[in-house]
Order: sequence, then C-alpha cells, then structure tokens
Amino acid sequence: MKRHYLLILILVAIQVAAVASNADTALVEHTSLGRIPMLEAVRNPALHGMVYQAPYSQLALGIDLQHQTQAFVPEKGSGFTLPYLKVNTFHPLNGRSTVWGEASYMTGKVHDIKWNSTSDYDLLQPYILADTLGGDIRRERYSISGGYATSINKWQLGAEMHVRAEQEYRSRDPRMRGIVTDLTLSLGGGYDLERYRIGAAVEGNIYKQTNSVAFYREEGVIPEYQMTGLGTEYSRFSGDKRSLYYDGGGVAVMLHASPINQSGPYADVTLDEHRYHRKLAEFNSMPLTDLYNEHVGATIGWKLEKIHRLAVFGHADYTRRTGNEHVGGTSDARYFPVIACLTMYKSHILDTYAGALYGRANWNVNITAGYRAVSEEYVYPHRQMDASHVYGKLRGQCFIRPADKWLLTVDVHASYYAKASDKLNMPLANMDAAFTRLIQHKHKFAIANYTDFGAKARADYALNQSRYGLFAEAGGGMTLCSASEHQTALHCSIGITF
Amino acid sequence: MLFTACAPVEDDIFTTACITVTAEGNESITSVQAQVKLTNVNTRQVTTVADFNGTSVTVELLRGAYQIDIEGVATCQSPGNSIRMRQFRCQSDYEEFISRDINEVTLKTIFLD
Repeated sequence: MKRHYLLILILVAIQVAAVASNADTALVEHTSLGRIPMLEAVRNPALHGMVYQAPYSQLALGIDLQHQTQAFVPEKGSGFTLPYLKVNTFHPLNGRSTVWGEASYMTGKVHDIKWNSTSDYDLLQPYILADTLGGDIRRERYSISGGYATSINKWQLGAEMHVRAEQEYRSRDPRMRGIVTDLTLSLGGGYDLERYRIGAAVEGNIYKQTNSVAFYREEGVIPEYQMTGLGTEYSRFSGDKRSLYYDGGGVAVMLHASPINQSGPYADVTLDEHRYHRKLAEFNSMPLTDLYNEHVGATIGWKLEKIHRLAVFGHADYTRRTGNEHVGGTSDARYFPVIACLTMYKSHILDTYAGALYGRANWNVNITAGYRAVSEEYVYPHRQMDASHVYGKLRGQCFIRPADKWLLTVDVHASYYAKASDKLNMPLANMDAAFTRLIQHKHKFAIANYTDFGAKARADYALNQSRYGLFAEAGGGMTLCSASEHQTALHCSIGITF
Repeated sequence: MLFTACAPVEDDIFTTACITVTAEGNESITSVQAQVKLTNVNTRQVTTVADFNGTSVTVELLRGAYQIDIEGVATCQSPGNSIRMRQFRCQSDYEEFISRDINEVTLKTIFLD
C-alpha cells in the first residue's frame, strides 16, 4: 500500500513539473532568473530584440514602501511611499523585427531626507546642495522608453531611447526643488559568427537638473551648503547661494559575445564615462564643480541550457569617481572668473563576485559570493573613509501551476554582508559639530554588517478564451543592520497582462 | 570617443607663496617678527605662519585666492642709519597664488606708532 502511495506521489510530482514546464509562457521567459547570463546583453538594443521569443505586455498599478528605523544614508531618507502606474510591452512584429517599450508614472513621498536638497543623489554625490534640517519630499517621475530591433541575414541592428522627467519638491521650509531631464539613446549591432553571436553597442546620455531651495519664513532661514565630499563644503558659495543647475551626460560602450545554441562560454564588457557639471545659476552660470564617473565592468561565464539550466560566472565592476573644484577669482559684476581647477575628491568602488545558476523549467537557484570595497578621499585637508565587505547571496524562484488557468511565481532571497576592513581619517578637531555628526552617522552604517532576506509571490490568472490575464503580486523584505537598526520593505501590485 | 573623454585630473594642488614686507618712505625694513594669516577666499581655510627670513616668509598653500593679514614688529633703518623697532600691519583682500612655481607678493606696511 505504501508503495502505491509513493508511486502516486511521484506521478503527481512529475505531473506538476510537466505542467509547470509547459508553462513556458512569456511571463516565465521575461521574469525567470535564468535570464541572469543575458542581463548585460539586453543593454544592447540589437540583442534585446533577440533575447525573448514570446510577446508580453503588462499594465501594473503598484506601490513600493520602505521604512528604516534610522536612515542608513541620510541623504536618501529613511524610507518612502511610492505608488506607480506602469505599462510595458515586448512584441515581435514578424520573424525578424521586434519592438518594445515602457511608460510609467510614479508619485509619492520620500521620508526624512537630511543633508541633501538635490535630486538623483546616487548620480551626483558628493556634489550636492545640502542643509541640516531636511524633511520629507514629494517625488514625481515620468518615464518612457522604446526600442526597435531587426535582423538581416547574420546581422542584428537595434535602437532604443529612454526619457526620464522627474521633479522632487518640499512644500515647507527648506523648500527644495529639483527638476530632472534625462535622455539616453542607444544604438547596437550584432553578428552571428559561426556558433557565436557577438554584439557591440554605444549609448549616449544627456542629463540636466535645475535645483533650488527657497525659504518663505525669513526667521527660519538656514545655510545651504555646496557640499564637496566627506563633510566638506565650498564655503564661499554656501549659505545664501541656493540656485544652481547640473549639466551632464556621457557615453557607454558595451561588448558582448555568447553562444547562439545557448551552451558555451560567454562574456560582456561595459565601459562608460559620465560627467556632471554643477553651476551657480545666480552668478552667470559659474562652474563650481565637475564630477567624472568612470566605470568598467566585465563578466566571463559559461552556460548550458538543455533540460536543465546551468551557468557559472565571474564578474568585476570598478567605478572611479573624480571630483574637480573650480577656484573662483575676484568678482566683477556678479561674474567670477575661474582661476584654477583642482582635483579634490576621489572615490573608488570595486565590486567583484563569482556566482552560479542552476535551474529547470519551473525553478531556478542562484548563489553568489563576492567582495565589495568603497574608498573615498578628500585630498586636502586630508579626509578618508574606506570600508569593504565580503558577501554572499542566495536567490530562489519557482513557477507553480496550481490549476489550469493559474500560474504562481514565488521568489525568495537572502544575503549577508560582513565587514572585512574599514578606515576613517578625519580632522575631527577642526570640523563643525554638525558635519562631525554627519560623518559619524555615515561611517557607522558604512562599516556595519547587513543581513537581508525577503520573499515575493505573484499569482497570474488567464481569462477565458482571451489573451488577457490578471495578476496580483506582493512581496516584502527585511534588512537587519549590525548598528542596531533595521529596514522593512513592502511591495504590492495588481494589473493585467496581454 | 570614450577613451579620449577620461577625467582631467589636476593633482598639482599645492603651490609656494613668498610674501615680502616693505616700508614706504625713506626707512627700510631689515627684519620682521610677525604673524601672517592667510585665509583662502573660497574655502575659508586659515593658514598661519610666522617664520620670517629677513623681510620674507615662505609658505606652502593650496592653490587659490587668499586674503592676507600680517601683524607684528619690524626693525627699521633710517637713512641716517638709526635703527628702531616699529609695530606694523599689512593687509591684502585678494591675492592669487595659482602658479605652480613660487608666487611672490610684496606688501607695504602700515606703521601703528
């Protein structure tokens, strides 16, 4: 009797796996962890059009929530509540051409931002406008992108455009406002060389931000600092100089090679350079600082895609951020000549990891181990803050078809970052108390250990005799910080697929 | 295009300033004992130096624009070779120390007696 039960159990398990493997739907194709070896390649629009086979479109209404008991990075706030509406589509036109696009609108609130009155902190730091008071801000983002790819014999060609318009503002003092326009254009090509597909793409970016802070209550005016890195500021133009803009952009080159038959070694190389100039609007656009972000990334891996999916890969990312300060001369009718330009800020970020992916049609597991080192230096008076971590990450995903019209996707992840080394060198005796507190806060979180875990579930329901479907998704996660703080995150969305 | 677009790095950020104190009129200054306060106009960073060699003092600074304040005592020699100690101060609102070589500045004294 027990043998019968065991046989039935095995048959049921095989049946579930078979049903799930038949669920090689567009959703699986577009959301599977199995895409990891191709994640870099899809930045090349020519290859993006070739990566997926099935058409897939989705309209989603969702919300992202995050809360930190104390802001890990004060300039980015202690959390957010960001509802959004997003539609994206990928549509093969015929056997040769593909179009894809995305449009989204997001609006919400970012909580308790301090020491930052500028939008796009990750992009522009440390050259931001800042004050000690801060507060909640409203964020509104419009984003639209579209691409086209086609293949002619052994050649693939593609183009893609992405536009982001964003504004952030605060409706109480200090009333910061940042208005961002960000345009990226990519052109790519690919060629089938024997059993390999090689690709090259070039990407150009134009970035602008107008940034200002206003005070409506005269007695509540506080200084706005032109930050220059690691708790330093450009004193001459700090205080009441609260209107500036950023002018920037850059280029990127991406190279890719992978086997056409889905099995064999693959490689990606990305080189990019972006620069951002901060200028004072009220002094004839006097340039204050220039920030240069240079990045090189390389991946080498080997993948096998048959009944099961296997990939092993190594990746290294190096980013150098160089900050030049313009030295203003004597003023003449609100015009300040630039008499010198000095490299005062230097930052190096190295992120390197090795990973493996194993999966079948209805599940994937990805494990990664790596090392990340961040080093920041302000040349004179000398300041330095370094921190490095070793980390491990584990991700799992499975697709379950509990009933004929239902598809359930479950994702789980966990990671641990352990501090490997740290260094802090600051002229604390000569620093203002507020700046000292900022540096101590940032250092505390830079050298902490982090444990992160979370899960996400998505249910898709196919409507009767229709290409339309409904879905609901919910996920959450928690990050525990060894500095006795933690972060909770929640994500929910509903929508239709078509 | 990418490789020609690398960040222009200017690591040569320091320079040497040589400040000399002179007197107006018939008297000449033979030696100085004074404190020189140099305030960087842009960073507001203050550098203080007092080791005069005769009537000049040399200091290494961040390249930039400076405000200079000097206050101290000078040994003055008159045309009749009489020597006396006089209190003085010098001041300049704006001096550029930009050159990678030595930047020389001469300031005239204001005697306080």
